[in-house]
Amino acid sequence: MSTYTIPVGPLHVALEEPMYFRVQVEGETIVGLDITAGHVHRGMEFLVMRRNIYQNITLTERLCSLCSNNHPFTYCMALEKIAGIEIPERAEYLRVIADEIKRIASNLFNAAMLAHIIGFDSLFMHVMEIREIVQDTKETIYGNRMDLAANCIGGVKYDLSDEKIKYLMKQIDRLKKPLEEIIDIYINNKFVRARTEGVGILPKEEAIRYGVVGPVARGSGIDYDVRVKSPYAAYDKIKFNVHVENGCDVRARAIVRLREIQEAINIIEQCLKKLPNGPTCIDYLPEIPAGEAVAKSEAPRGELIYYLRTNGTDMPERLKWRVPTYMNWEALNVMMPGNKVSDIPLIISSIDPCISCTER
Amino acid sequence: MSSFLKIAIRNLLKGPSTDPYPFGETFVPKGLRGKIKYNAKACVACRMCEHVCAGGAIQIREVADKSGLEFILWHNTCAFCGLCEHYCPTKAIRLTEDYHTAHRQEDKYRYVEKGFIKYVNCARCATPMVPIAFELLNVAHDQVNEDIEKLRHLCPKCRQERALR
Ligand code: SF4
Ligand code: SF4
Repeated sequence: MSTYTIPVGPLHVALEEPMYFRVQVEGETIVGLDITAGHVHRGMEFLVMRRNIYQNITLTERLCSLCSNNHPFTYCMALEKIAGIEIPERAEYLRVIADEIKRIASNLFNAAMLAHIIGFDSLFMHVMEIREIVQDTKETIYGNRMDLAANCIGGVKYDLSDEKIKYLMKQIDRLKKPLEEIIDIYINNKFVRARTEGVGILPKEEAIRYGVVGPVARGSGIDYDVRVKSPYAAYDKIKFNVHVENGCDVRARAIVRLREIQEAINIIEQCLKKLPNGPTCIDYLPEIPAGEAVAKSEAPRGELIYYLRTNGTDMPERLKWRVPTYMNWEALNVMMPGNKVSDIPLIISSIDPCISCTER
Repeated sequence: MSSFLKIAIRNLLKGPSTDPYPFGETFVPKGLRGKIKYNAKACVACRMCEHVCAGGAIQIREVADKSGLEFILWHNTCAFCGLCEHYCPTKAIRLTEDYHTAHRQEDKYRYVEKGFIKYVNCARCATPMVPIAFELLNVAHDQVNEDIEKLRHLCPKCRQERALR
């Protein structure tokens, strides 16, 4: 059988984000892979050094659309560490609520993409419609469908009135039944199963070797979640499960994401019940001394790490972040070989890649 | 179970779930972050909005004849983040629920929100100053009495002198 190389990308591999692969194939089977990154470098790390601490709240939120809340969230946590700011308790809960709402929408989006890639477009539409419940919720509570702009230095800049709490309860209730239905389909439907089971295997040892994070790690049997390992905001006051699957394939990663939506609903419900009264944000303009800090959070795609250094002015001296996709895309080198060419987009989408934040 | 057919039929019976926009109404929740509205009367020219705006959509400049300050906001540069409103002490800058931002290409540089803060003269020494908005007094004091109201018309220097007397 002849071996040849096919270029995949840089446009439209799974999502409409540029990523370029040179795939070596033998007949229909993938034998090797080259990943070329760097197509959407926007110079964000430089831009943040040209913006003051406030402007960077907005700028970091635009690193990535699907994990958008985690960036300003983690950035604010780093700043607050340097300045020694204690945020009000209510704000901690509100931050968790915002983050979990984003997680639901993000994971539903990835589940929908999976359906689209395997040609199950009616399921794709259906899942996107379920996601629409979340989009409407975000728009009603935060004022925007994607970038919530929930965080500010020392707290959050939104509040939940009793009326909004009721509304949010109602909206997440509306998600439960359709969610159960689609989880059943993703796990048991024979067409979905035929395309996802045993595809894009990342064995546990390899997952550890590559240091993958988020649902990619948890789909390969690794019980790692920042929310539990090093709790931040109100996560230490909430009881929830970290869902781990041992299938190590595309299907396992999809199941993890779907189960995490259910867990997110559980987390939001607990937060709404426990939500303490009080202010949502510090009531002074903070002074940020010179210093450095590392903050991390569990984004929908996995562990997100921020490193921030300040020099006493209100412009950061350095801000660097390590995003989950950076760890996860290398593992494609393990997932791809042995699979069919037609599975390339499916495997790529199974790591839920975010190129815009990885290449920033 | 696990067949999609039931769901597909249910969805079919439900009919389209898209809004008929622009020919009909669409979902606009209260609190949507849309086009900015600026109220020069309530503005105290603290420039915090200008400072926090990531895109640099806001500019506050003294006009050529030095009669006051001009506020300009480029709608096309605004990212609807709401930071300006959050940090504005008097809420002179607000995001409205108006999301209609379509305009002609030739109008793109004129597509702005403008305001003018005319300097007033200090009641004592006549130095031109930014008028102190009533809204600011409400932020600073629980109750605005006559004395405080009088101080409103003095420049910072005269105010200081009055306070020390
Ligand atoms: S909403 Fe954000 S981007 Fe728009 S003017 Fe205000 S601070 Fe600037
Ligand atoms: S609009 Fe508000 S934040 Fe901006 S200068 Fe006026 S008072 Fe200050």
